[in-house]
Amino acid sequence: MRPVRVSLFACLLVAGFLLTQVATGDDIADRAKKLHFSSIVLDTHDDTTQRFFSKSFDIGKRNPDGHIDIPRMREGGMNAIFFSIWIDGRIMGPPAVQKALDQIDAVHENVIKYSKDFAFCRTAEEVRRAHAQGKIAALIGVEGGHMIGNDIRVLRMFGDLGVRYMTLSHFYNDEWADSSTDKPAHNGLTDYGKDIVREMNRQGIMVDISHVSDKTFYDALEVSKAPLIASHSSCRALCNHPRDMSDDMIKALAAKGGVIQINYEKSFIDQNYKDAEEKLAGGVVEMMDKLKKECGDNDECLNKKMTEMTEKATAEGKLPHVSWVRIVDHIDHAVKLVGADHVGLGSDFDGANMPEGMDDCTHLPQITEALMRKGYSDDDIRKILGGNILRVMEQNEKVSREMQAAAH
Amino acid sequence: MLAVTMAGATTADEISERAKRLHFSSLVIDTHDDTTQRFLDRSFDLGARNPLGSIDIPRMKEGGLGAIFFSIWIPSKITGPEALKRALLQIDAVHEQVRTHPADLVLATTADGIRDAHKQGKIAALIGVEGGHMIASDLGVLRSYAALGARYMTLTHSGNAEWADSSTDKAAHNGLTPFGKDVVREMNRLGMIVDISHVSDKTFADVLEVSKAPVFASHSNCRAICDAPRNMTDAMIKALAAKGGVIQINYHVGFLSQEFRNAEKAHPEWDKAIALEVKKRCGDNEGCTLIEGDRITREYVLRGDLPRVEWTKIIEHIDHAVKVAGIAHVGLGSDFDGANMPFGMEDASKLPQITNALLEKGYSEDDVKKILGENTLRVMAEVERVSRELNTAR
Repeated sequence: MRPVRVSLFACLLVAGFLLTQVATGDDIADRAKKLHFSSIVLDTHDDTTQRFFSKSFDIGKRNPDGHIDIPRMREGGMNAIFFSIWIDGRIMGPPAVQKALDQIDAVHENVIKYSKDFAFCRTAEEVRRAHAQGKIAALIGVEGGHMIGNDIRVLRMFGDLGVRYMTLSHFYNDEWADSSTDKPAHNGLTDYGKDIVREMNRQGIMVDISHVSDKTFYDALEVSKAPLIASHSSCRALCNHPRDMSDDMIKALAAKGGVIQINYEKSFIDQNYKDAEEKLAGGVVEMMDKLKKECGDNDECLNKKMTEMTEKATAEGKLPHVSWVRIVDHIDHAVKLVGADHVGLGSDFDGANMPEGMDDCTHLPQITEALMRKGYSDDDIRKILGGNILRVMEQNEKVSREMQAAAH
Repeated sequence: MLAVTMAGATTADEISERAKRLHFSSLVIDTHDDTTQRFLDRSFDLGARNPLGSIDIPRMKEGGLGAIFFSIWIPSKITGPEALKRALLQIDAVHEQVRTHPADLVLATTADGIRDAHKQGKIAALIGVEGGHMIASDLGVLRSYAALGARYMTLTHSGNAEWADSSTDKAAHNGLTPFGKDVVREMNRLGMIVDISHVSDKTFADVLEVSKAPVFASHSNCRAICDAPRNMTDAMIKALAAKGGVIQINYHVGFLSQEFRNAEKAHPEWDKAIALEVKKRCGDNEGCTLIEGDRITREYVLRGDLPRVEWTKIIEHIDHAVKVAGIAHVGLGSDFDGANMPFGMEDASKLPQITNALLEKGYSEDDVKKILGENTLRVMAEVERVSRELNTAR
């Protein structure tokens, strides 16, 4: 079966619009297309920001590599995106703050440069307004608490610069929160970490629990007055990776009104792939470490090398093929567990290894069609595509207003 | 306590009804105050009348101060990422003060924002960054400051920045480096006023050549009256005015009075002794350092070691600058909470005296309004207009 499937994907890859051609006359395909392109499709995690520092990258043009640019976002109906601010978790203190500022600035500069296509957004209402104007909503998330230089005041400045979520840690523990891929050092959140969560609530910055340890997750859940998000995590029941969430965690997240945004990274969605990758490279952290040595500070190079390495290993049969359909499996698992109100999309485009058939954002309509074929209602699909995360944003905004009003 | 005692020396009844009416109906803008340092000290309350220092909300109201540029400042020897992190903490501290006192303060970033605040009966809080070393040679950081509300940047402080020479350091860059010129151009695009206080004469000349918008000196005086490198020559003031800019007069005694400056120079050991005593009292607390520095300097004056400088010296500098450059090019940049104040200008509550003195000198009410704030508003509006043009052109 596999070779047949692969060749089909190759075919779709070569002529992306073939899907719609084939689907003509197919009622579901037609309806799915209409639904997809009339919905707010909000992706909560994209690492494209790193590419803004590469002279060869222009987000306004169709690029031969990577997953995101304006032409392909238009083609895939992706009309709202969280650009991720990310630096290696071992860079801390003032240098981390400066690098984060540079990336926040790069997002703003690109939004200004392409203001016909992009609208910078800070609220759910602004995302809706951008969509009504036919623009792509650009938002900012900070991927790792290490970037605030262990200072709540820097967090507030990030908030003022438009940051609307912060992932409490990246691959490594920071000064006040344990990561899921590091040795526990703080037993979850420290007292200062809890203050940071409270301040995020006050500022209306969503608390993102992707990457954090299970204990950090439960601590954040207890402290936060607003619903949390996992900006890019998948289901541990289907792929037992520490970066993913157990069913209990997903239930607890949902009970608090939060949302799990499914990550498309192969090693987070497919158990066989994860196992093979561990055998080959020792795991995703180790693999990135090795590549980091070759690329130095060039994060664009890091992503490129990672893709090359995994593609080569897959071609040599050292890593299994993973189909994009696995993404839908994770969405469906989470929906069955907690309902359609608590699941969304957090691709990790331009920061992860995409499964076959999800080679870039032009392939997003496939998800809508697959969910429709599974019998999901139009309303539920709209929620998953973006409605849920907008609801969580609104609730965070409300909590922020209430806390600020209470202070006076 | 000395400050309070001296406050009695000039009483409100010396100020004419006409001056009061004019002063309190005008927009009074101060483009340079170092009170931000005190915000970092949790025991300081901007909302309460403080026995020390020059600025708090009660005294600003009493003195009719309608808009204030809070200065973001760290010593120029601190550079790189550490400098920008500390600058962010100070910008945050200004934002937090505005959040804590919403009935009295509102953050403003434009001339219209200042006018709106004034109409609502609130004090407009603005942000100026005092020293280019705080951008860590990174235009992304400069843009972030602008996005956070900073509306001017002084290109250097007392030491050279990596890309601009200071007036009080050895020349290292022959004025502005090519990157320094890019900084000025980017400030024009961002609508930030280029502040040439503190910079060397050559840096000033380079800025005038590069900047597409008027520039200002946020807190500098006239070298013709007091020959300090921090002050401006008549030729510089004329060139600044020709470009549409403004010199904002500084109240620091060492920049007002040649006599004071000579006495200081004659006894460098006093300066060292004062610094030592301040260090003893304040450690690394910058807010405390500025307040205590002023207090101890006054003790030297009261002992008769350093000469006593009266607040009327401020009027001399204003009047000189007006004579050199015209009424449209002079304003107020006190340096409150960051310098040694002359007798009779201990704090913001004393500001109506300036209006009174200018009227007595025969200045028209319109002219006084210009000095109090309208000239600064004109420069801001013009800088905003140039910014819009440059962004449209892009």
